[in-house]
Amino acid sequence: MSILQRRRGLLPFLLLAPGLAWLLLFFAVPLYYMARQSLEEGTIFTGFEFAWNFQTYTDALSNYDEQLVRSFLYAGAATLIAFAVGFPLAYAIAFRGGKWKNALVLLVIVPFFITYLIRTLSWQTILEDSGVVVNLLQFVGLLGDDGRILATTAAVIAGITYNFLPFMILPVYASLERIDPRMLEAGYDLYGTRRAVFTRVTLPLAMPGVVAGSLLTFIPAVGDFINAELLGTPRQSMIGNVIQSRFLELTDYPTAAALSFILMALVLVVVLAWARLVGTESLMGVEAR
Amino acid sequence: MSNSSGWDIERALDAMQASGLSRRTLMKRGGAGALSLSLVGFLAACGDDDGGGADEARVIPKGEISNRLTFANWPLYIDVDEETDERPTLEKFERRYGTRVRYVEEINDNVEFFGKVRQQYEQGNSGGRDLHVVTDWLANRMNQLGYVQRFDKEEMPNAVRNIEDAVASPDFDPEREISMPWQSGQVLLIYRRDMTGRELRSINDLFDPEFRGRVTMLTEMRDTVGSVLLGDGIEPEQATKDQALAAIEKVQRASRDGQIRRFTGNEYTRDIARGDTVALLGWSGDAVQLLADNPDIAYSPPEEGFMIFTDSMQIPVGAPNAFTAQKMIDFVYRPEIQAAITEYVNYVPPVKGAREILQERNPEVAENELIFPDLSEAHNFKSFPEEEEAEIDAAFQRAIGA
Repeated sequence: MSILQRRRGLLPFLLLAPGLAWLLLFFAVPLYYMARQSLEEGTIFTGFEFAWNFQTYTDALSNYDEQLVRSFLYAGAATLIAFAVGFPLAYAIAFRGGKWKNALVLLVIVPFFITYLIRTLSWQTILEDSGVVVNLLQFVGLLGDDGRILATTAAVIAGITYNFLPFMILPVYASLERIDPRMLEAGYDLYGTRRAVFTRVTLPLAMPGVVAGSLLTFIPAVGDFINAELLGTPRQSMIGNVIQSRFLELTDYPTAAALSFILMALVLVVVLAWARLVGTESLMGVEAR
Repeated sequence: MSNSSGWDIERALDAMQASGLSRRTLMKRGGAGALSLSLVGFLAACGDDDGGGADEARVIPKGEISNRLTFANWPLYIDVDEETDERPTLEKFERRYGTRVRYVEEINDNVEFFGKVRQQYEQGNSGGRDLHVVTDWLANRMNQLGYVQRFDKEEMPNAVRNIEDAVASPDFDPEREISMPWQSGQVLLIYRRDMTGRELRSINDLFDPEFRGRVTMLTEMRDTVGSVLLGDGIEPEQATKDQALAAIEKVQRASRDGQIRRFTGNEYTRDIARGDTVALLGWSGDAVQLLADNPDIAYSPPEEGFMIFTDSMQIPVGAPNAFTAQKMIDFVYRPEIQAAITEYVNYVPPVKGAREILQERNPEVAENELIFPDLSEAHNFKSFPEEEEAEIDAAFQRAIGA
């Protein structure tokens, strides 16, 4: 075997090396420490000791089931709304955008040049109790006189939706934009109604984008804590808020680590179920049928 | 403990909005957590060595004044000359003792700071710090863990002579041998007179259904629970664990019912300025600033009495310049030095005589009852035994949704 051939055999591994090293250093190693930490016993004041303490997990589950369930509900709702808002938008840009396509896509992204935190803080101002939005809604009678938007469930879900909307729009747009118009024409040639062409041609072809979009929206939304923190009240607090404060403020590292693992496991289950439902091809981004 | 999910950025934003003046309001207590967690603290916390025994703290031996001193404090907690950006109090100390002071504003949150220094202190290494300032409950913990040194009171004549009676003998340190107050503050009712339509006097006004959803309380357990206890006619100094838990339940119920909008650190200043909240528990240092910015905002020390919190100076074990640190503590107990700090930070000075000096120099500050309250109405939270305290803390955290 010549040196050249042997090199060629090594090449894939060399190409993989940076990625693997990255994954090992910034994913596997921290994961190991987190797992270890979640099984420790003690407090910051007495010190932590490793103790195979699985009770942290059961305690965390029973103490924070409410926040866990809420996180999945909010994230699910936000994903659905993002789809409902984002799909028509992406469709319009892809098929009716014409020469404005790129400009319109840019407009979708522009707000995200500003940091997440500041955008959410501005929502506080927009939705404030004596602000324009609340006054308008009160004027048209949608909101009672002492009704409010800020510090409600609606505000939190709306905030999450807003913050993750581009993650829905962009992949959906990308897959819609790739659709060959001749496919649609073929559908009409075969006497397909507009509705039939949409449901049997457009939508299936857009599925990879929809699936990617829903995952990109749902997964970070479940762990989000900024929207609940800034736009909600303790009654809207999500699992991310608990993990955040357990880790950084109460320095209860075992509970925080255990909750992170629980969250990770639950997200995995949901994602797998979703993949089952829509088919792994679309999950992997393979063109459907 | 500062458990708020207070945001450094949120505060920084306040500062931007309100420009120069609000610098004092900016942070101080209220806990910063999230964005300022240091890697060191995190790594330290990853360590798993066990806690050390609480030996009797060692008395600081007499020595020479050294030429350097490192002082760890909270941001915006000492006077600053706005023109030169220098800190006059430290300059005076440097001039008098020839010691260069390295002043580090590294403490944003009690628990976070503890997480950061624990491992060093555990090894008897102060990380170069000669002085730190933490809230009294943590000062107590630091001592229990053997992380601080005992003062040689002979070397601190000013501190001995001038300490205010109200803060001179807390239950955990009756002689003030391991902690010496830096500043105190009151927990007050702050409200929008234009929106409540009446003056608020009682802590129980916060539970008035008329203000449903427009009330906030503090994430600082001792401040909120102590105030609620006072509202129920229970002295926080005498409270039992069950009474504290009952108060927490009352808070939790109010939060569930939507009476309490949220629990905050310093962020409440934004909410009330905007009018999203109309009545809340807040801190006196902030109130001075809020009142100056908005004439509709009013405050009152609750008629049932008010909670006082005290942040105290301590000398950690292994401090390289402990003797000099002791001199620094004594130095700020000179009334004229303290007066300059008070004028700037607007908190309650623990030093007798500062007020008299301010009466001449700045009567407005001297007459301000936020800065010089009637200390006979002040209450302290009791130091519960460790296990009870952990239970109370946990219950409170659950109540505020953390």
